[in-house]
Amino acid sequence: MGNSKHLGLFLLAPAGIFVILFFLAPVVLTGVFGFTNMSTATGITGGSYMVSESAMRPLRSRFGEDALADQLSKRIYTIDEEGLQAAAEAGGDAAALTELRSNFFNESFGNRREVETAIKSLNARPSTTRGIKIISAQFVKSVINVRFDTFEELLTSIADFGIELSDDQIEALADVTYTGWTFTLQNFKTMVELPDTRKTLINTLFYVFTTLILFNTGFALVLSISTHYMPTGPAGFFRSIWLLPRVTPPVLYVLMWKWLAWDTGFLSVILEPMGFAPRNWMLDSPTNAWVFIILINGIVGASMGMLIFSSAIKAIPASLFHASEVDGATRRQQIWHIILPQLRWPILFITIYQTLSLLTSFEYILLATDGGPGGATEVWALSTYLKALQNYGGALQYGYGAALSLVLVVIGISVSLIYLKLFDFKNLTAPPKIE
Amino acid sequence: MRILLDKFTKKFGNLTVIDEMDLEIHDGEMIALLGGSGCGKSTTLFAICGIHKVNGGRILFGDKDVTNVTSQERNVGVVFQSFALYPHMSVEQNIGFPLKLRKESQSEIKRKVDEIAEMVHIENLLQRRPGELSGGQQQRVALARALIRRPDVLLLDEPLANLDATLRLEMRSEIRRIQRETGITAVLVTHDQTEAMSMCDRIAIMDAGKIVQITEPKDMYDNPVSDFVAGFLGSPPIAFLSGQIKDGNFIEPSTKTKIPLSGNITKNHNGRNVRIGVRPEFFQPGSGITIGGKVTFIESQGRETLFNVTLSNGTILRSIQGKRSESKIGDQVEWGIDAQKILVFDEDGARL
Ligand SMILES: Nc1ncnc2c1ncn2[C@@H]1O[C@H](COP(=O)(O)OP(=O)(O)OP(=O)(O)O)[C@@H](O)[C@H]1O
Ligand SMILES: [Mg+2]
Repeated sequence: MGNSKHLGLFLLAPAGIFVILFFLAPVVLTGVFGFTNMSTATGITGGSYMVSESAMRPLRSRFGEDALADQLSKRIYTIDEEGLQAAAEAGGDAAALTELRSNFFNESFGNRREVETAIKSLNARPSTTRGIKIISAQFVKSVINVRFDTFEELLTSIADFGIELSDDQIEALADVTYTGWTFTLQNFKTMVELPDTRKTLINTLFYVFTTLILFNTGFALVLSISTHYMPTGPAGFFRSIWLLPRVTPPVLYVLMWKWLAWDTGFLSVILEPMGFAPRNWMLDSPTNAWVFIILINGIVGASMGMLIFSSAIKAIPASLFHASEVDGATRRQQIWHIILPQLRWPILFITIYQTLSLLTSFEYILLATDGGPGGATEVWALSTYLKALQNYGGALQYGYGAALSLVLVVIGISVSLIYLKLFDFKNLTAPPKIE
Repeated sequence: MRILLDKFTKKFGNLTVIDEMDLEIHDGEMIALLGGSGCGKSTTLFAICGIHKVNGGRILFGDKDVTNVTSQERNVGVVFQSFALYPHMSVEQNIGFPLKLRKESQSEIKRKVDEIAEMVHIENLLQRRPGELSGGQQQRVALARALIRRPDVLLLDEPLANLDATLRLEMRSEIRRIQRETGITAVLVTHDQTEAMSMCDRIAIMDAGKIVQITEPKDMYDNPVSDFVAGFLGSPPIAFLSGQIKDGNFIEPSTKTKIPLSGNITKNHNGRNVRIGVRPEFFQPGSGITIGGKVTFIESQGRETLFNVTLSNGTILRSIQGKRSESKIGDQVEWGIDAQKILVFDEDGARL
């Protein structure tokens, strides 16, 4: 019996592993990735060092090392042992190479034409242009676009290239030539600077709160309260109707909305005789798009609140309804003074739950408008998905996407805390003084 | 306010729970609806306050037909069996709720709540929630809420069922006092005969949706119209002996005991099979017509002792005795029945 307390832990271990693997780890990784510049360009493993065009740009702009950048970007041609050997292996004319060694050994040329002029000046010069080119190609010296596994190798190569570097320059180079991901706050700076971010944020808040207030809690309350006052049969029927969208596969469900809104769809067909030109009603204007987005999400979203509220109303003792009627309460007063106060906890639950799920779910928007027209319905979660996982104007920006998700998490937690405060959560859960 | 139920009928689906009930409750009277579980007491109460729609007949308050008036407009105060206090409101808000619904001013509500709270002795509990009250305190709050708008009628559905014995005794007189003070017409639903007898001016005994007898408690005890009523009132209950009327006497066949009956009963019923009811206080040692049996059960009730005496045919007679008795279980005894006090019922249970 002594190890019975360990038994519990032991039995929970598999669950614990799953929790860590599938819940905790992704959150932690997202948090970490948010502070990196990870993208398809950097890869998600470590990187190498390379003097590239894109590395020279920050060298000039951030460090003001224009001269160094110019030097590094140059190609020079030097007649050295290494080049001569390579030329021999590439099939260069042996006599020409011997003469080249004796005439120009260790001489450098600024470009390829100058090397070729020197080769042409040889007595044993190759007879064809191709023969000349085979040889000249072997003497090119450049650090540009060469990958080095370590920074030291890059430095050696630069030294070979004949460039002397100051300590500051070394530091700058280490920074700009690294091709892997690095930790940075740049994502958050970018987020604040981009005007799109503000737009997306406003879209998100509008989308979440409009859907929430109108449908997920508002309409759900209307449905559950009105069915409460109906006879059981019709009430059950009415509730099941509102459950249908919930059990329809999302893709099909949105497809039906699209069909409704298409330029050859239902709306266009019935509105045409009334003088409205057929069009895609959903993507016609931002207002229309929003109306559809909110309806699509709201009609699905209301069903859950309806179920929770309905069962909560059922749980109110019938005697409270009887008592309030006898006390003189009209139906309106009954709703206001008896039902709603009793629903405070379910309403809080649904509000928090639906806020979080509206904040993070974007599948209906993705399927319906894909954020259009012109980004008008792009919400935070969708934008995160597009930046991080959808090829959207080029590379996938994992780091930026993660940073966006991180902000979403922070927004979600803050909003929940505000709700708890608003609904006076402490009082709701305070233990009763007398059982 | 007088209440009149005129051929009141209530059905739930195909089930007729109350069939053409007539009941008149006088102004200022407190009446008890007494009956076993499921006999339709609550249903009657719910019809009077308008929670249930009636399926037939009329309900009159005074001379006004309220059959189709909603419960909101009947001005009836109800204390529900479960009290039905609003859990999310303080005691003060609970009591003031009916006034708040009528949009009376805050100060007016406060004044009336304080006044009624004093009457039911809960002045110091006003800020608590119902969940923080004992059963007896909740009961007073429910009573205060029912009384605050000076209803024409007060309905109480087994208000004391949840209370312990002492509290029940206390609340009995408390409710009666308040009912007298306010002069309100009241209906008390209960299945506790003591409660009905001690609190009410009249008792209406119900059985399977019908009122079997309605009269004052004392009269009902002494003159029940049927064996059902006789069996319902009295604790410990009345005992019945089966036998025959022969030549002015009741003959108990197993013991051949002869009990003389009054002349007007025997006149028309000679030879008829009947049952007589003997209350425990009228079956005592040393007086009356003796009948022999064996003591099979003794229960001390403190001041009094209850004996069961089983006759040779298995019938049980009960005796309640004040003074100490030497009898033990298994003793053969010969105790007397008071012939003046026996009640005679025919085969169908109707009183002769
Ligand atoms: N809402 C209802 N639907 C169907 N039948 C009902 C309903 N309410 C009561 N009944 C039936 O009507 C009959 C009378 O019920 P009622 O509640 O009036 O009994 P009661 O005398 O108050 O009993 P108790 O002492 O147990 O409270 C019962 O047989 C009950 O099953
Ligand atoms: Mg009842």
